[in-house]
Amino acid sequence: MNLTQQLINGLVLGHAYALIAIGWTVLLGVARLVNFGHGQMYMLGAFMTWFSVSRLGLPYLAAIPVAMMAGVAVGYIMQRVMLRLTLAQDLVSIMIVTLGFGYVLHGAAGLIFGSTGQILETPLSTRDIYWGDLWFTWQDIAIVLVAMAFFAILKYVIDNTGIGRTARMVAEDPPLALLAGIDVKKVYFAVFAFEGAAVALAGALVAPRTPILTSMGFDEVIITFVVVVLGGIGSVTGSYVAGIALGLFTAFFGALVSPAYATAAAFGVLISVLVLRPGGLAAAPGGR
Amino acid sequence: MSSAWNWPLAALLAVAGFFAPVLLGGSPAIYAALVLIAIFAVMSYGLDSIVSDLGEVSLAHTVFFAVGAYVTALLSVRLGLDPVGTLVGTIIAALIAAGVLGLITLRLREFVFSLVTYAVAVVALTVAANWSFIGGSDGLRGIPAFEIGWLGIRAAGDVELWPIAFVLLLATLYVMRSFRRSRLGQAAIMVHLNPRLATMSGIDPQRTRLQVFLFSAPITASAGWLYAYQRAYVSADLLETYFLILMLTAVVIIGRRLLLGPLIGVALILAQEKFWSFGGYVDRIILGSLLILVLAYLPGGLFGLVQALAEARHRVRARAGDTSSQTRPRKADA
Repeated sequence: MNLTQQLINGLVLGHAYALIAIGWTVLLGVARLVNFGHGQMYMLGAFMTWFSVSRLGLPYLAAIPVAMMAGVAVGYIMQRVMLRLTLAQDLVSIMIVTLGFGYVLHGAAGLIFGSTGQILETPLSTRDIYWGDLWFTWQDIAIVLVAMAFFAILKYVIDNTGIGRTARMVAEDPPLALLAGIDVKKVYFAVFAFEGAAVALAGALVAPRTPILTSMGFDEVIITFVVVVLGGIGSVTGSYVAGIALGLFTAFFGALVSPAYATAAAFGVLISVLVLRPGGLAAAPGGR
Repeated sequence: MSSAWNWPLAALLAVAGFFAPVLLGGSPAIYAALVLIAIFAVMSYGLDSIVSDLGEVSLAHTVFFAVGAYVTALLSVRLGLDPVGTLVGTIIAALIAAGVLGLITLRLREFVFSLVTYAVAVVALTVAANWSFIGGSDGLRGIPAFEIGWLGIRAAGDVELWPIAFVLLLATLYVMRSFRRSRLGQAAIMVHLNPRLATMSGIDPQRTRLQVFLFSAPITASAGWLYAYQRAYVSADLLETYFLILMLTAVVIIGRRLLLGPLIGVALILAQEKFWSFGGYVDRIILGSLLILVLAYLPGGLFGLVQALAEARHRVRARAGDTSSQTRPRKADA
């Protein structure tokens, strides 16, 4: 095993995981909501990118916003349907509804894109970089750079801008936010739209690493879940760190033990953490 | 409803249910559909006790279903046990699985609980597809016909399996009814609706949760037990989301805590899939949309909708009666 190569793989995977999870982190942090359709929204993002590039002939850079718009639309529709449940904070029903949405998305994607696997090729993913005996692609570099930029901007927006303050207030106390004149419904819509856009971006960037299938998305949900809980529920910085830690763990576990069980092993780590500390690793819940 | 005419009614329904395949024409397709309806209804009742009574969402019930089917396959193919032996094995394995999962998730609540159970189901799928001991992606084939020699029972094919599936369904209904009247059932409802009151009345919520979990897993697993015989092979597809969505929809579509709710729900869904199917993908969209729409717009399920309509009609009638009685004195005034 080449240690440095696995380190690079782990860092790339880690940034990919952090990017996949960020939509859910914000969703949970701001709106106290969960989305079990997250993995299928990732799948949709990947397929919208593939469709725009290979069928509509758009350049990759133009295909990404198309995929993100589709993500926004799906997120908006989900929230529109669930609004009553969201305002009542009926988490049990929300979980089942989002699971249902994931199932519908899978069916719809199968109907539109077919059941065969596709390769999402981008101008970056086909260009390899060899550096000594190390190997990676320009796509990997793009994933790392975009993830870093995305997290930095998000962190800045949440901590230092009016939008961030509004979001934090809604997260802290929705009724109080309502009294303060904040349109809570609008915030919920915005958060869900953001979740859709973020996960579609992740799909467009990360999915070219592997063949894409309409039945994928389950591993992504587990990864997201591990990142969100280990990072401290709702914490942006925590998610970034947890994502990278999980990426390194997966890379080394895959190289040393078995790639087939890597997700299962990551989940095993999470279970042991949850049994020891049910609140996750971050100290303060709701902290960012 | 007094129990005096409750029992005869139940008996009548049971007899009618038993002859349902004949009444519906008795074709092989009818028998096949009804056997599956009975099996999947039993599967759903296990989840029903968690969702409707305990008020939590377990997404790991497909695991119990698969545990039942896999244990049955292993015991019958490798050790040659008969259905009684495999059923005992299924129940023991389900109790162990539920015990482990229950202890792990004991302190977790709401969405973290559901996330862990969901993750367990996804991880179980990868394990089942990769572990060669249980057949890997090929699964286990060659499960013998359902045959209990010392009872003289032999059931090959759906027509002969129907009585067995029906008895399993009746037993499950009886157990569910007894559960809801039992101390544990009452405790579960109290923990669900008012945890503080439950604690004050000396009920330990965590213990109750664990007990309901242990109660529900063997029910879902026993459905897997019969399903293994019905299909004659098991594979990792038992852990697919289809079964999860089917269970969840069946539990919520008619209305929660109705004894026949999940059965009717499963019957409706399978009738659509077997006799009015639009192909796999569209059926997926239909099933998923049904689940979404009921939860988002019909919190009481279809039964709740019927009740609300009946009430509204009643109210309209009552108002019509009111206005006519009010108009008369006014005319007299004039």
